[in-house]
Amino acid sequence: MIPRNWVVGIVAAATVAFAMSAFAQKAFLDVGKQPDITILIGSTPWYPAYEKVVGLYEQQTGNHIKLDVTPFGNILEKARNAARSGQSPYDLMMLDTQWTIEFYEGGFLSPLTDIDPSFAMPKEVLTYGDSGYWNVQKRWRTANGGKLMAYTPLGNVQLLYYRSDVLKQAAIAPPKTWNDVMAACTKLAKPPSMYGFVARGEKGNGIRYDWQSLMLAEGANVVKDPEAGDYTVTINSPQAKAALDLYINLLKRCGPPNYGSLGQGDVIQLLATGKSALGDVVTAAFAGFEDSNKSAVVGKLETEPLPAGAGGAHGAVIGNWNAVVPKNTSDAQKKAALAYSRWFLTYDAQRAFAEAGGIPNRSDVYTSDLVKNPKYRWMPAYLETMKFARQELGYAEGAQVEQILGLRLNQALIGEMSSAKALNTAAREIEALFKKNDRHTGMLPALAE
Amino acid sequence: MRDAAGLTSASRAQRQPRGGIGAAINASFRYWSLLPAILIFAALTLYPLLNLMRMSVSTIDFVRGAEVWTFTPLRNLESLASDDVLRPAVVNTVVFVAVSVAFEMVLGVALAIAVAGLPRAKRIVRTLAILPILVPPVAIGSMWKLMYNYDFGIFNQALVAVGLMPVNWLGSTSIALASVIVVDIWHWVPFVFLILFAAVEGIPPDLIEAAHVDGASRWQTTRLVTLPLLRPAIVVAFLFRAILAFKVFDEVFLLTAGGPGTSTELVNLHLYKVFFEQNRLGYGALLSLAVIGAIVAFLLVSRRAALAIGRKS
Amino acid sequence: MDVATRGSKVFRGGIASRVGVAFALFAIIGPFLWILTASFKHQIAIYAGQFPFTPTLSNYVDVLAGRRSDFPGNIANSLIVASTSTALVLIAGTLAAYSLHRFRWPAWLGAGFLAWTLVFHMVPVLTLLGPWYVAFRELDLYDTRFALVLTHVTINLPMTVWLMRTFLREIPPEIVEAAQVDGCGPFDTFRRIVLPLALPGLIAAGILAFIFSWNEFPIALTLTSRATATVPVAIARFAQQYEIQYAQMAAAAVISTVPAVILMFLGQRFIVRGLTLGAVK
Repeated sequence: MIPRNWVVGIVAAATVAFAMSAFAQKAFLDVGKQPDITILIGSTPWYPAYEKVVGLYEQQTGNHIKLDVTPFGNILEKARNAARSGQSPYDLMMLDTQWTIEFYEGGFLSPLTDIDPSFAMPKEVLTYGDSGYWNVQKRWRTANGGKLMAYTPLGNVQLLYYRSDVLKQAAIAPPKTWNDVMAACTKLAKPPSMYGFVARGEKGNGIRYDWQSLMLAEGANVVKDPEAGDYTVTINSPQAKAALDLYINLLKRCGPPNYGSLGQGDVIQLLATGKSALGDVVTAAFAGFEDSNKSAVVGKLETEPLPAGAGGAHGAVIGNWNAVVPKNTSDAQKKAALAYSRWFLTYDAQRAFAEAGGIPNRSDVYTSDLVKNPKYRWMPAYLETMKFARQELGYAEGAQVEQILGLRLNQALIGEMSSAKALNTAAREIEALFKKNDRHTGMLPALAE
Repeated sequence: MRDAAGLTSASRAQRQPRGGIGAAINASFRYWSLLPAILIFAALTLYPLLNLMRMSVSTIDFVRGAEVWTFTPLRNLESLASDDVLRPAVVNTVVFVAVSVAFEMVLGVALAIAVAGLPRAKRIVRTLAILPILVPPVAIGSMWKLMYNYDFGIFNQALVAVGLMPVNWLGSTSIALASVIVVDIWHWVPFVFLILFAAVEGIPPDLIEAAHVDGASRWQTTRLVTLPLLRPAIVVAFLFRAILAFKVFDEVFLLTAGGPGTSTELVNLHLYKVFFEQNRLGYGALLSLAVIGAIVAFLLVSRRAALAIGRKS
Repeated sequence: MDVATRGSKVFRGGIASRVGVAFALFAIIGPFLWILTASFKHQIAIYAGQFPFTPTLSNYVDVLAGRRSDFPGNIANSLIVASTSTALVLIAGTLAAYSLHRFRWPAWLGAGFLAWTLVFHMVPVLTLLGPWYVAFRELDLYDTRFALVLTHVTINLPMTVWLMRTFLREIPPEIVEAAQVDGCGPFDTFRRIVLPLALPGLIAAGILAFIFSWNEFPIALTLTSRATATVPVAIARFAQQYEIQYAQMAAAAVISTVPAVILMFLGQRFIVRGLTLGAVK
């Protein structure tokens, strides 16, 4: 018989060890004791995953983080208010890529290397078009002569989604070029039960963002060389017209009758209900398609990198979030935000983020054994697309240019004006805008209308 | 003879305020009744209004984290003149306001009079009738967007079920604005109803009875007796409904984002883009003042039109 | 026969009017019923417009008891802010309206105040957000329900003043004069005679002020953060970056109407009981 107090002692030790094992997970990175920080973050599909990772951080390090979840449409407002007045209520803010220029130029942020000169981005972290760097002289986001202002907690890019079952039945290979997409969707479109291809046609950010993938694939650009200061408007080039005509034909021939008002939610809805064979959608939508409560096509959607244009070049636009540290918060809290960021950028944290449903930002996670799991079968297409994806509208006039393009492109799509007229009008308006802001600008000769 | 509190004049004489606090309150009532409203209003509105006026003639930039104001009235006016989206926005807004408010007024008044004639269940009907304004605008925009959905929305499903073609409610430039107007009418008829119902309940029944006794038909009574008595309430309901209609935002933003093309571009939506998305605070402030001017103009025109109609009948 | 029954007798319409009311109620409640059914569907069922469908309570569970849900707290915030601001705006607004109507004030003050409230009502709310944010942060009142109550009172004051002014003017001046002759002071006249007669107007103005405060979004968003957020801010979180979480939003919208409806139903009865002890016009 084992002595009674031995039994008690063993049970006690086992209980303590069991309890401690739940808490004493080895920290991914030892950051020490830090003051509490508050993060401004938007209500997005990846928020639950981010929240889980933050929970891990709190568990491992004992530090506390408060997450202020704001409706997506209002983050910019909150960030501006916080940055422009007195003491900022936030120590880390998540800004969508098109808002970063305003904050970089306005001087609202503390460069990360100013907070701690030893802070460096791990080389495995994807660059996302250098949206985290700011070169003051050139007024451009580039690592070349730029200071590090932000890192990317989540980088989105759109992928070509297709129904593997539908394509297999029709014996069509996954499209690699936009012409392939046109051929495939024309064959597969059987309205109203099945549409061939869906993408955003909605006025504004919707059509601008989606169309620009084709624009880049056809080798066209909005401005000539903004990094060098040359803001000559080149949006009304023959290549851009070809891209616009292609986009309009795709939607007209293969899309639903209301293609002129399709937003991201509509595109996701059409794919999720199984009503479209092909679609141009964000990577972040993948998780929803695999959820039986939200999708009727679980397991049937596959992804390809965004297709190539006539010349063989691929095009994609990066839409990434940037984590920035506002200037008007205390030094101790800035350091705490940076410490947390260091932890977040480790391989283990990014892997945990991916497992919780987020999109990791380190290439080594994409080449790890995670890829073998069918849940992450979007990863190869994502990594491949990231190789050619670019940042667009990276200048102070970005929002206004988007409004101009967003309207004129939509008008061409719904037939209110020809594609040539739309591009010419947009070019004129954008040139006038740049002139007003004293940029070195000009225009291409007008397209024949 | 008893007054509202059930007191006779005799007993009231005994309950006369005993001087002191009661008398003081009564004596100064004239002043302290107006004071709270003026105080709160002054405290909270002066700064924003003055700020708005100052912004409208300035350009605001941010340098090294600090605001820099420059006096640029001409530049802002030039932005106003060269704003291409503004013209269709103004036209759409005027159409939107005129049509929505007209329907809401007519339907609201008619409903108020009809419900006043119900023998029972008035409180339940009133509570049910105001449900639309209880729903948060964000939810209204989102839910109606679903109902208008081309492939799966309930309207098109009903149309297809009876063999008709589905309608492109939000994606057709000719129909989109009408679709938005329908949502607005559904949302705000309860507002007009509520105000008018309270007014109808306040009409002394003797006046209406007298008209009946005089041999007037129901329609004549309504037109010649009831409506004129309701005129002050109708004016107030119209006033506030029109002003609110100029400020519509959530529903349009979620339903159409101003498209397709410029068919549902409304002034307040455009203002939001200028002020928030493009961060042009100075021009945005000027635009706000222009909107206020437009509202005032609209109200004056409506007043003249209403007087003209009144004179004809 | 009391006023209410006599009123319905004189306004009684024919079949057409009853059919009209029934149709109007159907048109009004229809979409709301649709939202109700949507709240019991899974997202895919909403996407595909399924009917019939397999109902689920998961949306309500998600909204009310989800791990990161603050909804019960948001409802509490909304209740506190809306009730307080409604009470305050009714008091301030009715008093002001009566004062302007009953007493002689110089034109610049009387008409000026009314015009100022009307013009302020025309100002787009988003131009007020910046200055208010700065002001409340200076006063250390950012992220408090108190700031929200003050701003809501300001926003609703114009309509309350104008509405009460309309209803107060309907009261026959003879009654007020009779009370004065009997020796009633102005405040007592107001309290004992005028208020009960203005009851329908008070209810209407009160309901509207409550609803506008309850559903107010831009100011609540700017002046609060997670702890003090109100219901509309919480519901807006379901309108995400790429798509709208319709299922949860529908559930949240339904839940959000319940306290408002209860409060208004009870509120009507309370005001009626409190002010009309044996009222006879």
